[in-house]
Amino acid sequence: MASNGKFATLMRGYGRLTLFLIPIGVAINFVGGQIALLLKLPIYLDSIGTILVGAICGGLPGALVGLLSNAINSITSPPTFAFAVLNVAFGLLAGYFGRLGVFRSWWKTLLSSLGFAFIGGFFGALITIWVFGGLAVGGGAIVVGALTALGLDVNTANFVAQIPMDVLDKVPTVMIVYFIIKGISKRLLVKLPLGWVYLGQPNPNKPAPVADSAKA
Amino acid sequence: MSTRPPLTTAGDYRRPVTLGNPILDLNPITMLLSITFVAVVAVAVDGWVAPVVVAAVFVLLAFLAGKGRTYLVLILKLWLVVGLLLFVLRALLIKGETVWIPLGPIAVTEEGVLDGLRFSTVVMAICGAVTLFFTLVPMRRFTLALERLGVSPRASYVVLASFQAITDLGTTARAVMDAQKARGIETEGNLLVRAKAFFPVLAPVFLSAMSATEERAIALDARAFNAHGPRTSLVLLPPTAAGERVVVVLCALLAAAAITGGVLGWF
Amino acid sequence: MVLASLRDVRFTYAYADRSALDGVTLELASGGLHGVVGLNASGKSTLCALLRGIIPHFHTGQLTGEVEVLGRPLLEWEPADLSRAVGCVFDNPFTQISGIRDTVFEEIALGLENLGTPRDEMIERIERVVEQIGLQAIVAKNPNDLSGGQRQKVAFASIIAMDADVMIIDEPTSQLDPEASEAVFQIIADLKARGKSIVLVEHKTDLLATYADTITVLSEGRVALTGPTRDVLSDPRILEFGVRPPDVTELAWRLADAGKPLGSTPITSAEAQAAVRQRLEKRAS
Repeated sequence: MASNGKFATLMRGYGRLTLFLIPIGVAINFVGGQIALLLKLPIYLDSIGTILVGAICGGLPGALVGLLSNAINSITSPPTFAFAVLNVAFGLLAGYFGRLGVFRSWWKTLLSSLGFAFIGGFFGALITIWVFGGLAVGGGAIVVGALTALGLDVNTANFVAQIPMDVLDKVPTVMIVYFIIKGISKRLLVKLPLGWVYLGQPNPNKPAPVADSAKA
Repeated sequence: MSTRPPLTTAGDYRRPVTLGNPILDLNPITMLLSITFVAVVAVAVDGWVAPVVVAAVFVLLAFLAGKGRTYLVLILKLWLVVGLLLFVLRALLIKGETVWIPLGPIAVTEEGVLDGLRFSTVVMAICGAVTLFFTLVPMRRFTLALERLGVSPRASYVVLASFQAITDLGTTARAVMDAQKARGIETEGNLLVRAKAFFPVLAPVFLSAMSATEERAIALDARAFNAHGPRTSLVLLPPTAAGERVVVVLCALLAAAAITGGVLGWF
Repeated sequence: MVLASLRDVRFTYAYADRSALDGVTLELASGGLHGVVGLNASGKSTLCALLRGIIPHFHTGQLTGEVEVLGRPLLEWEPADLSRAVGCVFDNPFTQISGIRDTVFEEIALGLENLGTPRDEMIERIERVVEQIGLQAIVAKNPNDLSGGQRQKVAFASIIAMDADVMIIDEPTSQLDPEASEAVFQIIADLKARGKSIVLVEHKTDLLATYADTITVLSEGRVALTGPTRDVLSDPRILEFGVRPPDVTELAWRLADAGKPLGSTPITSAEAQAAVRQRLEKRAS
């Protein structure tokens, strides 16, 4: 049996801890969502794990967390899977932002929420329009319905309803990610693919310019 | 009724693990392919009758597998919450020529009702397929079958550990929340109060779960998780019978016929 | 053959303020049961991690000095080979259960599957270890539903089933009651009798006195005392390093302080009984 498939190679490249952090990221997505529901908060808070793992392990692991979370959710609620691409994009974007050091400062983190909200709101609306003809289910559906009844066309109604809702959701999400990263011990950070960002170290995977020219 | 027989003796592992029902014992890949092909029929054939028939077939299969009640509860919830909403929204909002019931600015039209019926039944048939597969196939059995096809055990680990982590982290989070409540930290009241409770409950739980990954990585390494050689498996799935292949081929033919018919406009 | 030999080994975890091991020189013979004692943060777990190659392959930091495991320099070992040659049981029962298996039987099988053990042999080995550890009552249970003590035993069984020649065991009894601890020590003694080399971190010196061949006392990352079990445990200096001697040894010291010394310093209760009996007989004659 092939135990050294592509997935294994990928995970080895990402350091051993990433493999173990992906399930934790998935669980954080779920538990965040559950507790938000339990506290009757009007937001989802169900992408904390995706953005967190993206920010500390890189875009692909983050995307995997997103994909798995939506896949597991679709076991009991299959329409959720249509939106998996959003959660995947959150992970990729978090990895990109993480590499840039966005999550090291609170105000950059705060601004990053606009990026996530744009993906969630704009592309979320697009998926709703493409896959479900603009009439999907979920919290926004009633709002969209009401807006349409007021005379807005279905597509506009989707954008109008979803973008502000996503900003409301992503601002606390990214701030929680920021504070959790602040709480991670150095001992753990050393073992994470993007740990160097938060430890203020140079990128270990980028060869020094001297070595580069020596190779060439 | 058909729960897994208790494994009181190790002797059970010398034989393929059976779930005590011929449908449940089908190879998970057989199951995946057959259910997918049947679901394709629902999408390919126009109108709402085909999806309803397909959905009914799934319910029948669930009962034959001895999981009827579990499946029915799941799927009825989906029909009521998702299916009905999809139908009503379309019936109300899609504009058409034949107005049945005018309701101020909107109206129930014949076109809207037909479109709503078609769309909601198709979505429900697909939902039925997904739900049926995961009702009939335990996740561990599915990952075992995938490993046999060459999928990395690491991928299985990530999937299975995710389910366990959801359970574990959920339990811890709720315990911490109850403890916070007992200590007088408010988790009810106005929105701001409730929002403020979120972070102190979850941040420590998330952080400790993250640091536990270090020990987990070492502990699994001690179990030769990173070994390079070929692996074996304790649990043996029943061999794939010739009959299973016939079932898959028949389902594939059915799907092909439905697609061809859909394209050529037979229905 | 030498199980492990360390010469002037220093290790500082990345971003740590002080060294976890600070000039450790130590030689452990093959085939023995070596006890390691000391306060928290004295370097016990770091020593274990080093012998297993977790340092420097997993925990990064600054490592100097020479380390040889089974006659081969640590850095020359392929990590996967070393983890196969040296089995390892840790103190935390919750992180040692894989979380991906439905029954205890399957949990124990995990390591053997990864090693590619043929099925029939695998089942035989698991059955043997289940009996050895006394897990018959819980083989069919879900490992995720077990108590801490039960999980610890399952973790132990999982490593024993893999049959490595060397075992590093870090506080295996921390979650167990005295009776269960005694049982675990019986198992460890049995492993030793079957020719395994064992490094055991344990603070219960009463039990170490009976089973260990040598004892090493660590203090602030240094070897404070090391030698045959009797010499170390009957040395009053162990108190300075925060190690509690066996109860009977402490009793003998008290008697000596009170001017009534036993002829010898016992470290096990059997020895204490003999010494007391001797004394009574002397008095009677």
